[in-house]
Amino acid sequence: MSELHWMTAHVAAAAIANREISPIELVEALLDRIERLDPKLNAFIRVDAEAALREARAAEAEAAQRRSRGPLHGVPVGIKDIIDVSGLPTTCHSKIFENGVAATADAECVARLRAAGAIILGKLSTHEFALGGPSFDLPWPPARNPWNRDHHPGGSSSGSGSGLAAGFFPMALGTDTGGSVRNPASACAIVGTKPTYGVVSRRGVFPLAYTLDHVGPMTRTVADNALMLGVLAGHDPLDPASVQPPKSCDYVKTLEHGVRGLRIGFVRHFHETDMPADPEVAAGLDRVALTLRSEGADIIDVTLPALEDFSAVNRVILQSEAWSIHSEWLRNRPGDYGRLARRRLMSGAFIGAGDYVLASRQRSQMIGDVETALRKVDVLLCASSMDPPCRIDEPEEIERTYMRQARAPFNVTGHPALAMPAGLSRDGLPLSVQFVGRYFDEANLFRVARAWERAAGTDALHPSLAG
Amino acid sequence: MDERTAEAIARRAGLERALEAFPADVAAAASSASNVTDRVRRLSGTPSSEPWPPMVVVRK
Repeated sequence: MSELHWMTAHVAAAAIANREISPIELVEALLDRIERLDPKLNAFIRVDAEAALREARAAEAEAAQRRSRGPLHGVPVGIKDIIDVSGLPTTCHSKIFENGVAATADAECVARLRAAGAIILGKLSTHEFALGGPSFDLPWPPARNPWNRDHHPGGSSSGSGSGLAAGFFPMALGTDTGGSVRNPASACAIVGTKPTYGVVSRRGVFPLAYTLDHVGPMTRTVADNALMLGVLAGHDPLDPASVQPPKSCDYVKTLEHGVRGLRIGFVRHFHETDMPADPEVAAGLDRVALTLRSEGADIIDVTLPALEDFSAVNRVILQSEAWSIHSEWLRNRPGDYGRLARRRLMSGAFIGAGDYVLASRQRSQMIGDVETALRKVDVLLCASSMDPPCRIDEPEEIERTYMRQARAPFNVTGHPALAMPAGLSRDGLPLSVQFVGRYFDEANLFRVARAWERAAGTDALHPSLAG
Repeated sequence: MDERTAEAIARRAGLERALEAFPADVAAAASSASNVTDRVRRLSGTPSSEPWPPMVVVRK
């Protein structure tokens, strides 16, 4: 059996069910590791040790009676701190909510995890309001990258990525409006999925931009990601964007089916001409394509609209919708925001209604373009980040690389997208790849991701810093 | 977007406090917005392309 802190959710759930380990033993081991290592990484805003141990004792008592709440019985999870957990304040990593009152109910996604037996370990660092970071001018320090503490861990779900890579928990919740699940997945060598828009409820999650916001699972392995999404997916009548997935949400069943016969569209122009990627990132993407071809997939070049056009549409919509949420605070308390969030959120004040509608109309056309491409192929393969994660203390470099990504297109179109490791750079920093699927076809997305993971052994990548 | 236009829009949006305390941030926000809206305005489109999401009437 692997060390407890590197145990996957699948293995932990099976070991608890078989009485090989107790949830108390697992939670205590993770709390001990968090206490030792998190002061160097800042993945947590708040560790809720007391509640986690109480839940672990309850889970242990149930396991002793051969009772299980669900597929995550006794498995710990961390929650990004823009998502409500009953009894805890939701700070959004901001002075605006620094002394906020405790949430009175779980967000729907948290409630689903609890109902499946998961144990909440605490609330995780984020970029301020899921947008402004990494920042050093907030009430809590920014999360750091376990692969190299001097580098950023991606964001905005920064604590989720950092904590997973450090072995603090096997699962975390993130949110993704312009790539915020997939950015930390790319920077920390973990797996992050932005599901089809509407598949996971956003109720109880502090909004950034209503029509772009997604909640997604973050894990160290593809199988855990599939397991977690299966728990999270489903219709919520109280979320106006929620839909009933038309296909089965058992994403684990077809995981090991391989890629033989699948057609995979390689969107090369994103990283070759639109935003030329770091050579190691580009080489990593070629490696993924070659490997999947050798596993039996057809690799076909595919062309989509230019990456900068997707990014502009994403920004106009995001900044307009975010301004509608933050305008009162920005008028009255601008000094209570960190510099990055203040700048990014105020942009919405300078975008007119006509430009917002224009961007929304362009969005319809872009959806059509991606749909056309996905009629010819089963899954798309493309870059996620164009660069390995840069140093966290170089604001110019953060600013330069922040928009050098290919994640925002699929917030614009709502297609499911998964980011995962493509290896490590010569400097030992994570390289990444992104897969994109048809609407509601997360099963094929996981199938392709698992084929790459199995061939390359990316699930065995752990940083040495975490010990 | 020139400086005077940005300031006028910021005042109209009620950002006087930000203009006084963080003028560089207001200017950066205006510049960022200008860049992305310019790009969106240059994209081709047809009048028949409707905004997303479309209006949907649901019988309750």
